[in-house]
Amino acid sequence: MQGLGYLEETVLLLILSMDDEAYGFSVSEAYKKHAGKSISISAIHSVMSRLEKKGLIKSHMGGATAERGGRRKRIFEATAQGKEVITEIKVSRQKLWSLIADLS
Amino acid sequence: MKGSTNQPPRWANKFLIWFVAEDLIEEIQGDLHEAHFHRSQEIGRLQADRLFIADVFRFFKPYAFEKYSRAKQFLPMFNNYFKIAFRNILHRKSFTAINLVGLTFGIATVMLIGFYLQNELTYDQSTPEYDRIHRLHNHYRDQVYTCMQFSKYFDTEGKDQVNLLNWLKGNEEVETACHFVPSNSQIGGGDKYYVETDGEQFLAEKVLYTNTGMDFQTVFPKQFLAGSPESAFTGFDKVTITEKLAKQWFGSDWQTRDILGRNLTIRDENYELAGVIANIPDNVHYEFDWIIHQETIPSWAGYTYFKLKPNALAEPLLARLNQDVNKVYPGYTEDILNKGILSVPLADIHFTNDTLYELKPIANQAYLTTFGIVGLIILLIILTNYTNLSIAMYADRQKELGMRKVMGARSKDISLQLLIEAILLAMFCLPLVVLILYEVIPHFNELMQINIDRNLLFSGSSILILIGVLVLTGILSGLYPALAYGSRSMLGLFGKSKKINLNHRHYNFRNALLTAQFILVIGLLSLTFFIQQQIDFISNKDLGYQKDGIVYFEIDGAEKYKELENALLQLPEIEAVGANGVPGSVMYNQMTYKMKGTDVTLSDGTQQYLTLGTVKALGIKCDACELLEKGKEKIFVLNQTAAEKLAKIKGVEPKDLINETFISEPEWENEEFGYGIHQNIDGIIDDYKFFSLKYPNQSLIVEIVSKPSWAYEMIVRSNTDNWQATMQKIENEYEKIETDRPFDYAFLEDRINDLYLEERRSGTLMKGLSLVALILAMMGLAGIVSYIAYSRQKEIGIRKVLGASVGDILVNFNKQFSYMTLLATIIALPTSIYLASKWLEGFAFQIEPQFWVVLLAGFAALILVVFVVTIQARWAARQHPIDVLKVD
Repeated sequence: MQGLGYLEETVLLLILSMDDEAYGFSVSEAYKKHAGKSISISAIHSVMSRLEKKGLIKSHMGGATAERGGRRKRIFEATAQGKEVITEIKVSRQKLWSLIADLS
Repeated sequence: MKGSTNQPPRWANKFLIWFVAEDLIEEIQGDLHEAHFHRSQEIGRLQADRLFIADVFRFFKPYAFEKYSRAKQFLPMFNNYFKIAFRNILHRKSFTAINLVGLTFGIATVMLIGFYLQNELTYDQSTPEYDRIHRLHNHYRDQVYTCMQFSKYFDTEGKDQVNLLNWLKGNEEVETACHFVPSNSQIGGGDKYYVETDGEQFLAEKVLYTNTGMDFQTVFPKQFLAGSPESAFTGFDKVTITEKLAKQWFGSDWQTRDILGRNLTIRDENYELAGVIANIPDNVHYEFDWIIHQETIPSWAGYTYFKLKPNALAEPLLARLNQDVNKVYPGYTEDILNKGILSVPLADIHFTNDTLYELKPIANQAYLTTFGIVGLIILLIILTNYTNLSIAMYADRQKELGMRKVMGARSKDISLQLLIEAILLAMFCLPLVVLILYEVIPHFNELMQINIDRNLLFSGSSILILIGVLVLTGILSGLYPALAYGSRSMLGLFGKSKKINLNHRHYNFRNALLTAQFILVIGLLSLTFFIQQQIDFISNKDLGYQKDGIVYFEIDGAEKYKELENALLQLPEIEAVGANGVPGSVMYNQMTYKMKGTDVTLSDGTQQYLTLGTVKALGIKCDACELLEKGKEKIFVLNQTAAEKLAKIKGVEPKDLINETFISEPEWENEEFGYGIHQNIDGIIDDYKFFSLKYPNQSLIVEIVSKPSWAYEMIVRSNTDNWQATMQKIENEYEKIETDRPFDYAFLEDRINDLYLEERRSGTLMKGLSLVALILAMMGLAGIVSYIAYSRQKEIGIRKVLGASVGDILVNFNKQFSYMTLLATIIALPTSIYLASKWLEGFAFQIEPQFWVVLLAGFAALILVVFVVTIQARWAARQHPIDVLKVD
C-alpha cells in the first residue's frame, strides 16, 4: 500500500467530496473552508500532480469560464485505486479508534 | 475579459508563461486568474495583484518547469544535434575549413597578444607582497634619479653607504630596507669579470652588488638551491650565483659536485662561493646572474627599496624623510637643485616614464594600448567572419529546420541546436590553437625580447580562458542565426519568397560587418606603412657624423688608452682612434649653465669630454679644432643648439659668443671663481645627434682634448674589407695591455640601430598583425562571396539566358564589394592618419603622415578584394544556365 502524507490525504478527500468540480482553485478554496488555513494554489497543484503520478486520481480538461480568461479547468476525480486507498486508511484508522477506550 | 480593468499584472503573467511548461500553462494560469478574479472582489484589486504575483513565484519550481515535464524527449534529441552537427561539418568541408582556419589563427593571435599584455602588466608582481615594497627616487635639477646617491658619492665608506637604509629602518612602519647596484646598470660601470676557481677561468657579467644581503633577501626573496640566505649573506666577500651560472661554470650536474665554500678569485681578490639560487624571473625590473656581497658597493649611488609593514602608508614616511633629510645627507636642503625624495610602488616601476638610470626599458603604454586595441579588433573580425559564415551555412538548411518544426521542434529547440553546432565547431579549434601557440611563442619571445613560458599554455587558467573565448565566440556567432531561424514560422522555412527576404535582411547586416573589417585592414596596413616609413626616416637621417666602419669598446683609464692608441695607430687600416664621446647614448644627467653677464640659467646641458681622435673618427665638423692641431691641449666648445639658446638670451648672434665666458653650474660656490666654473668659449660645432632622434637637439657642452686625462671608452675607425682580421688585430693589441677585462666590442651602427629597437619590434609586430587581419578579412570575404554565388545561381542563369556574359556577371559581383572597399578607405583615411600622428609624437624628428599612403592601402585592398571575389564567383558565372535552371 502506498503511504499518503497528511496533505495528500486531505486533498484526496476534498476531491472525493467535491464531485466533478475539483480543480486547482476550487480545491484550494475548499481546503481553506475545511481546514481553516489558507494554502497556495501551487501547493495544491503539486500535491495533485503527485497524486496523479501515484495513480490515485485522474484528470480531464473541463469547461472554461469568463473568470479564467477563457481558460479550461483541469478537473480531477479519484480513480478506483484512489478510492480503495482512502478506504483502507479509513478502515485502519477506525480499527485504531476502536482500541481507544475513552479519550477524555 | 480583454480590456477589462480586472486583469492581473501583465509582467507576472508573462513571466508565468515563460517558465511554465506548455502542457501545464492553461490549467495553472486559469486557476490563478480565477483566484485573482474572486480575490479582487473580496479584498480589493491591489491585494489580489499582490497575491497573484506571490502565487506566480510559488509556481517557480521544478514541478512546473519545461525541462522536467519533457525530460524524456530531451536527451535523445540532444544526441541527434551532435550527429547532425558532425554531418553538416563534413558535408561543407570548404566552408568549415575556411571557418576553422580563420578562427584558429585569429584566436591564436588574440591569445598571443593576451600573453604579451599579461607579461607586461604583471611586472614585478611575482615578488611576494609587492604592494608593500617601494623604491626611492631623488628629484635633482629637472631629472628624477631612480637611484639614491651615497652621502659622499664614490668616496662613501661601506658603513656610511647604509645611512639612508638605517634611517628608513628606524621608522616603525618600515619592515626593512635594502639597496643594490647591478653592474649592467648605468651607474654600475658595466663590469665584466674573469672569475677564477680551481685553475679554471670563467667570464661573468651582470653582477649585483649589495652590502645588505639579508635585507635584500627579505624584500626580494630568492629561492636557495644550495646554501642558505644566512650562509650567503652573513659576512662579506661572499658570492651567490644563479642556477644558470652554476650550470655554465660547473656543468649541469653541479649539484652532485661540492661547489659551496669554494674560493673564487676576482681581480686578485678572494671571495667565497656561498650559495646557488634559482634563476631570476624575466618580468621583474632588475636583472642579474650573480651577487657579490661585499662591504662597499662600487658605485656612487644605490637602488634603494623599503618594505612597509602591513597596512602602513608610504606618504607619511616620505614626508618625514624629506623633513629629516639633512640628517642622512648633510646640506641636502641647502642645495636648491635638490627638489625632494620621492617613492614609487614596486609594481609601478615598469610604467614610470622620464626617469634617469632605470634598470630595464620601461613599458611603452601607448604600445600596450595599441596592441590591446588591435587584439580586440582581430577578435571582432573573427566574430564577424564566423557569424557571417554561419549565417551563410545555415541559409541552406532551412528545409531541415522546417522538417524539425514539423516534427514538433519548438523555437527554443531550433535555437539550441544551432547554438550547439556553433559552439561545437568553435571547440574544434582548441587543440589547433594550442599547437600553433606552442610553436609560435619561442619566436615571439625572440622578437619581443621577452620570456613567456610556453608551458603556461597548459595551465588551467589558460585553457579555461581559451575554452571561455571559444564558447563565447560560438555563442556570439551562433546567436544571430539561432534566433533568426528559431523564430521563423514553419511555412516560412519552406517557403521560397521568404527565403529571399531573409537573405536581404542578412545582406545589410553582413555588409556592415564586412565594411568594418575592410576599415580595420586598411587602417592597420597604413599604420604599418607609417611606422616603417618613420623607421626608415630615422635610419637614413643625417646624424651629423659618420657611423660606418666604427667600432667602440670599453677601456679602463687614460693610461691604458694612450698605450693602446699608440699601438693601434701603427696598424695601416686604422684611420682614427679616440677616447670617449660615443654617440647614440641614452640620456644621462644634465647640468646648469649660463653666460657671464646674464641672469638666465639653463638646466638642460649635457656635458661631454672627448678627444680630437673621436671628433676625427666621427667626422664631426669642428672649426675650432684647428687650435688643437696647432698645439693647444684642450678647447671648450658649444654645439649650435646650446649656442643659439645662449645667444638669444644675450641678444647676440651665436658666433658672437666665441671668446666670451661661459659658466657651468653657476649655483656651485667655490674659491676659484666665486660661483660656478668659468670657461672661455673657443668655438661652436655643428649639431650632431648624440642622443636618440626621439629627443630634440640637446645642448652639448663639449671639452675636446688632444690627450685625455681620463678615458672609459675607445672609438676606432678602420678602412678595411676584412673586419674579422682587423678586429683580431685590435684584440691582440688590447690583450697585451688589458688582462682583467675581456675585449668586448660593438659596431656604432648597431648601437644606433638599437636606439630604435622598440620601434622596430613594434613595426615587425604590426606587420604580423596586419597580415593576420588581412588574411582573416579575405577569408571571410571568400566565404561570403561563394555563398552568395551559390544562392544566386538561378539569378545568374537567367541573366545569362538574357544575354549577360561571364564578364558582366563578374562585374556585377565586384561592384558591390568595390563600393564597400571605397567606403572603408574613406573612413580609414582620417582615423589612421590621426593614430599615426599620435604614434609619431614620440619622436622629435618625424615624417608627415601622407594621405596617399592610406589611399594606396585602400587600393591594395581593392585589388585583393577584386581578386578574391573574381576567383570565388567564377564558377557560378561559368555554370551553364541549363544546369542551374533545371533544379526544381
